[in-house]
Amino acid sequence: MPEMAIHAEGLTKRYGDSPALDDLDLEVPQGEVVGYLGPNGAGKTTTIRLLLGLSQPTRGRCRIFGLDCHHQTVEAHRRLAFVAGEASLWPSLTGAETLALLGRVHGRVDLAYRNELIDRFELDPTKKVRAYSKGNRQKVVLIAALMVRPDLLILDEPTSGLDPLMEQAFRRSIGEARDRGQTVFLSSHIMSEVEALCDRVGILRAGKLIEMGTLSEMRHLSALSVEATLEGPIPDLSAIPGVSSVEIVGHMVRCQLRGPIEPLLKVLTDTGVTQLVSREPSLEELFLALYGGDGSAP
Amino acid sequence: MAVLPDVAVRSPVRSPLRVERSAGSVVALVTARKAARSGFPWGLIFGLAIVSSEISYVKVYTNAGQRDALAAAYGSNNAMSALFGPAPQLQTVGGFTAFKISMTLMILGAVWGLLTSTRLLRGEEDSGRWDLLLAGLTTRRRATALAIGGLGVGAITLWMTSAVITVLAGRSSDIRIAAGSSLYFALAMVATAVMFLAVGSVTSQLAATRRQAASIGAALLGVSYALRLIADAGVGFHGLIWVSPLGWVEELQPLTSPQPVALLPIVGFSALLAIGAVILAGRRDVGESVVPDRVHAPAHLRLLFGPTGLAIRMQRASVIGWWVSTSLSALLFGLIAKSAGTTLSGSSKEVFSKLGATGSGAPAVLGACFLILAVLVAFLAASQVTAARAEESEGRLDHMLIQPVARTSWLGGRLFATFVFLLVSAVAAAFFTWFGATSQHAEVSLTTLLGAGINLVPPAIVVAGFGVLVFGLRPRLTSISVYGLLGWSLLIVVVGGIGAINHWVLDTSVFHHMASAPAVPSNWKANGIMTVVGVTCALGGGYAFNRRDVQGD
Repeated sequence: MPEMAIHAEGLTKRYGDSPALDDLDLEVPQGEVVGYLGPNGAGKTTTIRLLLGLSQPTRGRCRIFGLDCHHQTVEAHRRLAFVAGEASLWPSLTGAETLALLGRVHGRVDLAYRNELIDRFELDPTKKVRAYSKGNRQKVVLIAALMVRPDLLILDEPTSGLDPLMEQAFRRSIGEARDRGQTVFLSSHIMSEVEALCDRVGILRAGKLIEMGTLSEMRHLSALSVEATLEGPIPDLSAIPGVSSVEIVGHMVRCQLRGPIEPLLKVLTDTGVTQLVSREPSLEELFLALYGGDGSAP
Repeated sequence: MAVLPDVAVRSPVRSPLRVERSAGSVVALVTARKAARSGFPWGLIFGLAIVSSEISYVKVYTNAGQRDALAAAYGSNNAMSALFGPAPQLQTVGGFTAFKISMTLMILGAVWGLLTSTRLLRGEEDSGRWDLLLAGLTTRRRATALAIGGLGVGAITLWMTSAVITVLAGRSSDIRIAAGSSLYFALAMVATAVMFLAVGSVTSQLAATRRQAASIGAALLGVSYALRLIADAGVGFHGLIWVSPLGWVEELQPLTSPQPVALLPIVGFSALLAIGAVILAGRRDVGESVVPDRVHAPAHLRLLFGPTGLAIRMQRASVIGWWVSTSLSALLFGLIAKSAGTTLSGSSKEVFSKLGATGSGAPAVLGACFLILAVLVAFLAASQVTAARAEESEGRLDHMLIQPVARTSWLGGRLFATFVFLLVSAVAAAFFTWFGATSQHAEVSLTTLLGAGINLVPPAIVVAGFGVLVFGLRPRLTSISVYGLLGWSLLIVVVGGIGAINHWVLDTSVFHHMASAPAVPSNWKANGIMTVVGVTCALGGGYAFNRRDVQGD
């Protein structure tokens, strides 16, 4: 059984009367890339700050590689690196100085890889931080996190401000980390990013983890999208169990299907199908299905 | 939601204008609210300082003989005049109050004005909040003009608060100062605040960061003080008073021989700078500075070995600037000590001792001067605690605490660096005082002054310790608490030095527990207790910091 990179048990955080995170149980095995999704205010950043020991839990506990996040913080932090979505760095330091400082404080840096990352992300390290754009500041913290080759990467909206080319460079870097056996915990609003990178996905709603699994395990959360072009008139599909959202355009019909496909196929083939396309729901569709289509909790 | 479509339908042409007015007024309102919030407590401090001085005089100097002795001691002493301004009418409540409190309030007002304007202009811009405001339908010039108007509200709040207290106190049968005179005095005391609000509004356009903007303004304040000092030193350069902003305020001569014509350069200077700030704002991009900032720099890694080295690197410029200011002040005190000490005989000596300068000769004068140095050293301590809080509130602390760095070692390292800063500051003050005094053949040994220098550190340790305690328990209150303690302590010791304040109140001032070395021997027992109190507070603050959330603003 692999060692748990992240283990949270009953983790709860309240700010006054309002719960930010409610009784979270979470396990991330070593070497896995996990996506962590949820709308604004769902508790993603709270979870991460608790894991990093920056916030104190109201109840429950969490461990990083078996080390208590709040009592063995220094030891736990030797094995992780973190990237936040808002990079508030020291404005008067240059990029090179910032990377040197963070590398020295962490204690281990793969210098060759750091230089490779500087080239990959096209960062000018001689510039002062206050002269960097938001995207360039984000590159500094990304390089700082990746260059120490941590066992666990915790990323909170890491590509905020990056252009599509740099987004690709980021995906490549995370791919390399996964290949090296590093664990990645990725909180993001970019569904395509999570879909492309993550082995499993956790979905948070109002401070509670409501789903956790691989994408294929989560397909049941949303309907199959079916589009068919027929030879004859479109039959009435509304009576078929599981069919919804029927749209008819000429000889073409679109619908959503939950449940077995055979009854629908039978009706369509009886009419004469010339073209049939079915598509599993994307992560974005799964997410929207969970949040009622408008991002708010149903 | 229902209002917006309604406006759009009924008045589609006027709605953009409404938005513009709204965007501009937001800038003015936000700035005015923040400036007024800051101006009100400082107005209270100004007003209470003035009133306390008036009451103290009435209670302590009860007869004409004592008042004449006071006037004889200070009225014609050029050295004291250079330090605190002229003292033409010490036989009156008004004359004494103007002499006793004016210079302190003028400098406090200038510091308040400078810090407030650089915080609300350059600081807001650095934080990115101005981007949001300027995204509305307004212009940089218009927004800057409105923000300066908002700063003016802060100055008016400062003036009104202090004026109300001063007028009410003036109605007392013992004090008897006319309402018009009280209003004019309060206006004079707020004049430096107005001028340095304007100075800060210009430096906020010139400099790339808030710290740079404040530093440029502080340098101007230093030059202004030096010019006034030379003008008042009785060495034939009195005309220099008219080239110093502090000199203009002095020439208003409130409570003695009012000279409102001196308002002209004050108003002209402030207006010109305000207009200049608006023009400069229109000539640069948001986030940029008029004076080009260096974008590229070679890497200097020597100090970047860890959190403590980083703290030293980030605070280096301001700490060195503070050391230089403290050293120059100490040199000045050393230079005047012998001359001022010659007046301390007979009744004058008794009068002077009531002001805190006990003993005789140059050491007695230095005893009072070292109180000012103690304030400078304690201010350095306060600035280091607030800098630590700024690291947290602006999100930079996260980058350290996600590394293998314990909170206690981050805080402990900073406090150790602060202690070293304080020690160097105190030793430099002692050395430069000795250098100045020796050049004038004053009989004060370096060993004695080094002891007096070390004597400055314990009150600063209490200030730092108190600041860390608040930082641990209620981090958002750190700045206001630590500067509040400093301001309160200064006020109590300045006003209470004469002895008219209840001893329980006096005990709340950290400076009250410091012996007036070198006038008297250092009280090492009191210093030990202060150090223990400061360290205990710091340990308590560290304990609380270790158990709380890292918090932004």
